[in-house]
Amino acid sequence: MQTLQAPPSTREASRSAYPAFLRALGAIVWKDLAAELRSRELLSAMFVFALLVILIFNFALELEPKTRASVTSGVLWVTFAFAGTLGLNRSMAMEKDRGCLDGLLLAPVDRSAIYFGKAIGNLVFMGIVELIVLPVYSVLYSTNLFQPGLLLVILLGSVGYVAVGTLLASMAVQTRTRDVLLPILLFPLVIPVLVAAVKGSSGFLQGADMADIWPWINLLIVYDVIFTAVAFMVFDYVVEE
Amino acid sequence: MFLDQGPIESTGYMIAGYAVIFGVMLIYLISLFVRTMNLKRDIEVLEDIESTDQRSSTSDQKPAS
Amino acid sequence: MQPKPRALSILDTVTAVLFVLATLMVFLYAPEEAVMGQVQRVFYFHVASAWVGMLGFLVAAVSGVVYLVKGDRKWDIVGLAAIEISLVFFFVAIVMGAIWAKPVWGEWWTWDPRLTTASIVELVYAAYIMLRQGIEDPDRRARFGAVYAILGFISVPLTFVSIRIFRTIHPVVIGNSDPTAKGSFDMSPKMLQTFLFSLFVFSFVFADLLWHRIRLGRLADKVEELRLKVTQ
Repeated sequence: MQTLQAPPSTREASRSAYPAFLRALGAIVWKDLAAELRSRELLSAMFVFALLVILIFNFALELEPKTRASVTSGVLWVTFAFAGTLGLNRSMAMEKDRGCLDGLLLAPVDRSAIYFGKAIGNLVFMGIVELIVLPVYSVLYSTNLFQPGLLLVILLGSVGYVAVGTLLASMAVQTRTRDVLLPILLFPLVIPVLVAAVKGSSGFLQGADMADIWPWINLLIVYDVIFTAVAFMVFDYVVEE
Repeated sequence: MFLDQGPIESTGYMIAGYAVIFGVMLIYLISLFVRTMNLKRDIEVLEDIESTDQRSSTSDQKPAS
Repeated sequence: MQPKPRALSILDTVTAVLFVLATLMVFLYAPEEAVMGQVQRVFYFHVASAWVGMLGFLVAAVSGVVYLVKGDRKWDIVGLAAIEISLVFFFVAIVMGAIWAKPVWGEWWTWDPRLTTASIVELVYAAYIMLRQGIEDPDRRARFGAVYAILGFISVPLTFVSIRIFRTIHPVVIGNSDPTAKGSFDMSPKMLQTFLFSLFVFSFVFADLLWHRIRLGRLADKVEELRLKVTQ
């Protein structure tokens, strides 16, 4: 029995489309990381900003040992949300200003590779900032934040935040109001992530039952899946000229 | 429970609530009307300018007096 | 602008009549609630307004999808019209909710899931408007608007669920689960009829306003088009 086979040329093409996508994605992520390693402007800005936010919270809220446990996750996530906005804005603005975005669009690459490339880059930056903030906070307030459950929640929350944020940042950077617009667009949509992440984080920090924490983790996973899928489907329409 | 006391006196609030909805709906209807009138007037003005532009470009052959 | 279609004039009249009828039902037909008193009547139009808000959001999201797929400008006009109407009616619903809350729960604002979600949705609408205002190119404006309307719409159920798990105070009016939730009441048949009729009437209100607002949108498009021509 002879199985039908596509002519050799199409087989070659379909076989190479997949790695081409990954190569493009990797190139974009690497470009952002390499550029950042050299200048470090983005990371230092996000980091300093995060420290300042924690400092302000120290005076704004009573971070006494008693109330600390309930308030820690809220403080952490507000910090991440604001520092994240900074990162998203800068990351997209650099593309636009240096004309990289147009260059990327001209390349014969699936647009979604650009989306995922930028999103992963943004996630890495956010992750780096989070990984620096955690020990700082732990030391300042004598709370051990390096628990696997908490780290999981931070990961899931950051993924959702960055999935939507990257898409919205691509839009915001093309408007007149640019930086100012991103938080306005982003925060209402990202409320489920913030709520679930804060509740999930405090659950782990206060040693609650897994049964109480599960709904929040589920919600984060659902949000991440839905919004990553929608953002990637819609990204083409946001960058077409 | 509270049923023997009778319902609370809340007529004032009810009036406030309905004042809000009727008021806002009315304001919105008026705004739709005003905006429509403004746009219609804008169209008249713009079409006028457009036709004078066309007339002046076709009458360019005649010297201005 | 095309002359007002006959169908629209008929819709105007029908909607107006139904609205008057619904108002009469609310004030004369529905009974007074045993615990909350007269303020409970606010409930009928409060929920009906929220209903209009949600209808509008759905229409905007669907128009967004169709616009992205087909590229026909008229869907952008529909989307903007729907969002504007939703903005107005959700605002009304939130304020009426606060007015209802004060005598019943003792506070103007209770952070319960439904009203909190409604406020967040209102912010999504405001963000939509601000997004559009920051873009000059009509095509890009339409595309970005469509994308945001779709994202916003998808986020709403997730937002609601997250806040719902977070706290519960809002009265459960239909199929009550927690009888200790303050401010809940069972609906008598007359109340149920008034409630359902209000929802029905407000659907007409939405359709009528949407049609008018779409006509306005077409006028605005024409003005923009003429402005571009004239300034060249």
